[in-house]
Amino acid sequence: MYEMKDQEERGDVPVVGGKPLHGFASPAQDYLDTFISLDKELVRHPAATYYGRVVGNSMQAAGVREGDVLVIDKSLEPSEGDLVVCFVDGEFLLRFLSFHAPGGKGPRKAGKPGVSYRILRQQRLWLLPADDSLPAIEVSDANDFTVWGIVTYVIKKVR
Amino acid sequence: MFALVDCNNFFVSCERAFQPELEGRPVVVLSNNDGCVVARSNESKAMGIKMGTPFFQVKPLVEQGKLAVRSSNYTLYGDLSARVMSVLAAFAPRLERYSIDEAFMIMDGVDEAALPGLCSELIVKVRRWTGIPVSIGIAPTKTLAKVANHFAKRYKGYRGVCLIDNAEKIRKALALTPIGEVWGIGWRGAPKLASEGVDTALRFVEKPEAWVRSRMGVVGVRTWAELQGQVTIESDRDEKRKSICTSRSFADMISDFDELAFRVSDFAGKCAEKLRKEGTAASSVGVFLHTNRFREDLAQYYPNASVRLDVPASSTPEIVGAALKAMRLIYRPEYAYKRAGVIVTDIVEADAIQPSLFDFDWSERGREDEISKVMDRVNVAGKNVLRLATQRPGHYSDGIRHDFGSRLFTTDWTQLLEIR
Repeated sequence: MYEMKDQEERGDVPVVGGKPLHGFASPAQDYLDTFISLDKELVRHPAATYYGRVVGNSMQAAGVREGDVLVIDKSLEPSEGDLVVCFVDGEFLLRFLSFHAPGGKGPRKAGKPGVSYRILRQQRLWLLPADDSLPAIEVSDANDFTVWGIVTYVIKKVR
Repeated sequence: MFALVDCNNFFVSCERAFQPELEGRPVVVLSNNDGCVVARSNESKAMGIKMGTPFFQVKPLVEQGKLAVRSSNYTLYGDLSARVMSVLAAFAPRLERYSIDEAFMIMDGVDEAALPGLCSELIVKVRRWTGIPVSIGIAPTKTLAKVANHFAKRYKGYRGVCLIDNAEKIRKALALTPIGEVWGIGWRGAPKLASEGVDTALRFVEKPEAWVRSRMGVVGVRTWAELQGQVTIESDRDEKRKSICTSRSFADMISDFDELAFRVSDFAGKCAEKLRKEGTAASSVGVFLHTNRFREDLAQYYPNASVRLDVPASSTPEIVGAALKAMRLIYRPEYAYKRAGVIVTDIVEADAIQPSLFDFDWSERGREDEISKVMDRVNVAGKNVLRLATQRPGHYSDGIRHDFGSRLFTTDWTQLLEIR
């Protein structure tokens, strides 16, 4: 937090021409508050937003690769097709969330209560990888399972 | 009405928020330097592990895989605390942060009948947004809200929210509350009262005001009235500054540890002086370093770290010591630093300091305060005539132990959660 304050001290706020102006104020001054802030744009709920780093390429087919940064919002309700970070049997996985069986169907008991979202307790759900090389996981009571958060943006370094 | 929100086993809960594998397991968090246990999960409490237990005593359990251990990660705890507080602030008409893991919500103007329901929803929201479980005690006074919070935490039936809102409930709650648990009396004041037959909060309020006044003065009477539903502790005394920062740019760039430590000590000393001048004390001491951002040819590094004090302090030795600890966490010799600063936060009135379980030696503490006062007198002209040896280049190379640290999940770009 004090980092932010110090940014002002350091002069990271926009200054026209890089120096304090004397004499006539620049007409551009009035427009300075319109600069784009990635924080403002990508982070809807700051108190609930976390970042994660992708390891491995299990979601490569969906365009998410090793090293990408995930913007994760924990305040959102999960819905069909969301890209989610979930905690399954001791590790964090990136998968698509689905309330429908991929093709087949099979019975399932309610999800593990407690940490996970309320609606997930009553519904069957699957964690789907981006391609068929990995198995879809149907979450069962046997899994130690939590939907940790919903991915809202993927940040990629391209150069 | 006042609602006291208290994070359950806060440090452990912070570790669990990013390491769900610790859910349901016995976990302890160690003090700075991995010295002793400062936080326990319910499971480790049930194993009989006490606050303040030296680490070596529980080490065998860790080696047998029966107990998980973490070094304290105050950067993470500070971040999660700020997140919890911001969720609460959006909910309450007024919020008074009381400590890293507690806050009073002043619920003036909120329909009292709706309060318990709203608080239940708040618990779900805080848990979802931050991963932190909290308990809420609601009552007409702050002291009673503390009592209610104990009940919310202790008995599962309350589901995290306990409301004490009428004379009958107050009486019942006080009868079940050991006198040492009462806010403002504490375990230090309890033995004296117990020796006179006052072992519960109910017995205490049944004594006449004069009895209380003769033994505990006006502060005791305040507590006595609060326990009967009469507001005497309305809100924080006029708010002082929330943080004090001393920072400077250097004429030249500095890479040398000793030289940098000398500057940081100096800044920390100035912060301590300001605290004493205001009659306040700080619980958190942060340090930041900046390389020269205008020298694009040089590697850039803008780290910061903070160290948490077990008890708020304002003495120069304590603040400087903490600042140097924080600096050691972030200092890297390969960079040339252009600027550094010390910021002290979590500021409280110096006379309102609660002694902590972990701050073992109070006599030592008094001595450090005395040293500081003498330093202030001598330095009154504004020149640093008298200062600590640590405030000039010297020896501060003793490393602090931090063997079981979790990552800086939320504050360091290179230590993010890994997702497969």
